Amino acid sequence: MSKQKKIRTGKGIHRREFIKNSAIVGTGLMLPFGVPTLLRAAPRKIKIGSIQPVTGPLAVIGQGQRKANIMAAKQINAAGGIKSLGGAHLELLLGDSESKPEVGRQEADRLIKEGAVALQGPFQSGTAMAIATLAEQRQVPFVMDVAALDAITQKGYHYSFRVFITARGLVGGAINFLKQVVDMKGVAPKTAVVTNTADPFGKGMSGGFLKGLEKSGMPIKILERIQYPLGIQDLSGEVAKIKSLKPDLIFPVSRPGDSVILTRELYKQRVPLMGIYCPGSPGWYEPHVVKDLDKLILYVLVNVPWINPLSTVYQHANAAFKKEFNQTLDTNSAYAYTGTLVVADALERAGSVQADDIVAALKQTNFKDHPVLGGPIQFAENGDNKGASTGLLQIQPDPVPEKRVRVVLPKNFAQSQEIVFPWPQLWER
Amino acid sequence: MDISLAIQLMVQGILLGGIYGLIAVGLSLIFGVMGVINFAHGQMMVLGMYISYWILVLVGLDPYLSLVLVAVVTAMLGYVIQATVVNRILDFPEAMQVVPLVSIGLIIENCILFMWGPDHRSPNTALGLESIHFGDVMIDASRLMAFVLAILITGLIFWFLRNNNIGKSMRAAADNRIGALVVGINVDRINNYAFALGAATTGAAGALLIPLIPVSPHLGHDFTLTAFVVVILGGMGNLVGALVGGLILGVAESMSTLWLPPTLKHVVSFSLLVLIMLFKPKGLFGGK
Repeated sequence: MSKQKKIRTGKGIHRREFIKNSAIVGTGLMLPFGVPTLLRAAPRKIKIGSIQPVTGPLAVIGQGQRKANIMAAKQINAAGGIKSLGGAHLELLLGDSESKPEVGRQEADRLIKEGAVALQGPFQSGTAMAIATLAEQRQVPFVMDVAALDAITQKGYHYSFRVFITARGLVGGAINFLKQVVDMKGVAPKTAVVTNTADPFGKGMSGGFLKGLEKSGMPIKILERIQYPLGIQDLSGEVAKIKSLKPDLIFPVSRPGDSVILTRELYKQRVPLMGIYCPGSPGWYEPHVVKDLDKLILYVLVNVPWINPLSTVYQHANAAFKKEFNQTLDTNSAYAYTGTLVVADALERAGSVQADDIVAALKQTNFKDHPVLGGPIQFAENGDNKGASTGLLQIQPDPVPEKRVRVVLPKNFAQSQEIVFPWPQLWER
Repeated sequence: MDISLAIQLMVQGILLGGIYGLIAVGLSLIFGVMGVINFAHGQMMVLGMYISYWILVLVGLDPYLSLVLVAVVTAMLGYVIQATVVNRILDFPEAMQVVPLVSIGLIIENCILFMWGPDHRSPNTALGLESIHFGDVMIDASRLMAFVLAILITGLIFWFLRNNNIGKSMRAAADNRIGALVVGINVDRINNYAFALGAATTGAAGALLIPLIPVSPHLGHDFTLTAFVVVILGGMGNLVGALVGGLILGVAESMSTLWLPPTLKHVVSFSLLVLIMLFKPKGLFGGK
């Protein structure tokens, strides 16, 4: 039997012949498809530093923000990455400020050394201030997703940009909405107590609000300003003092934790009030706080930079966030998400990872498709977002805790047309 | 001065002092028996809070009822920590004892963070919002409960140490370790029981704090610091001292609200600490 016949009949195929023939056929098949695939370069990676307070007293907020940064980067990569840079993917370098400004600065420094071409974060104003100074020294663009203290962008820095509203903008919104509520309801609170955490944001925000209130000419007398350390575990003495002062309103600048302690203590000590009006701080709209305080948090009014519940960008992002992390995309997470989109938008237009090119692109930003209240994101000369604005929320009764937080002002974004003010006393619900 | 405010602050200070005493009793017990400062104390208390919280959410059992179960779980953890780590470092210099216990604290803290996440949890409990009113003065029911139970728990431990054979062995081992070994006491095992008892007290204290303080994974450091100040005030290793130290601190912090801003609360507590260390270094009940 000839060699060829043996092969055709399947008899006598030797191992060496099989391997040789397979190799020839395989190589032939690979030529049109395989080799170019091997030679094609993988998309470049662009490293972005995300510094959030993932541990410490602000961990609940920081973890949500980190998740939002990660989700935004994933979505950008899934949509083809930064096309002007050959489809380069965003690679998030993660930093944890531990809710401490000095740690936030160290983490930012580490991420820059690891190759971050831009930074974003960091929720706390103190941390933002520290990172902004570092970014200026190292000449790395820094996009603040959340940080409100005015002073951060008043130092003439070239590399810092803020997506969030300033404390002054927050105060403006708070006073504007307070006037509207008082006019609409025809009641005039005469006295109030301000409470705030004694961190840079708490002090700056409440101080700004006090000045703004004075300038506004509203006849509300501030009886006392009570400041307490961040992470306080007992406010019984402070609430006893508030009760003795008999204010109509409380203006709290708080965090999740102290807001719960304050409200429960107001209930236990039966402090009569017209309401709680938060000029702008967390602690009043987070899902756990709303669920835990239940009836006690109803009718609290909160002025806050908020998600745009009517925007499709928010609705899609929220659905994706729920699917991936099983939680709602709240306002802080939505701003973190927006921050990553803004960085990606700047990289796309810059077509470069050079700091000065990114900064030039950021200065030209006109970003409309975002999930938060306000106009297009455009940065002023000092880096503040000219389009940032706030909404007034009220916690209103609903069997589903997630649906209790509703935008009531401005009217064009409102989810509820009714505002309850003054509130029914805490112990009468 | 507003008299009703002053009375209210005094009442709250006493009740707050009971809570401080409760926070410190476990630390004082462990130091009293073994001479070891449990730097994982605060984190063990937070663990007690989370276990109690979990039982409440999953089974609906109120912290006042789950208290014993929480104490059993933290006691088992304490036993294991003592048997595997602390017994091996008892003869180390004090500075070297710090590192393993701080590490255990960090491990517990991060496990809590991993299991329950970073959110503040503050569920509604049976007495969480209850209060008793006498004119303008209010007594918080959950604080009163914590205060009463703190005294009760301290009394029970006191009784146990005086009347139970294991308790007597603990005192013997604390007094003279070599002597206890000579008379046939298994000191290592007795130490395991002592740490377990301290951990049980700490876990129970955590359960009692659930109606009062929103729990989050990073509370532990504050608890350890507070317990440390209280124990030094009262006298290291003295259980009654821990209660009295707690009362002094609670009343001082509460009454300071009349004159000082709350941001200076720590100034009050640490000034007291410095004064005690200067003039009575072994604490008010710490002997000579």
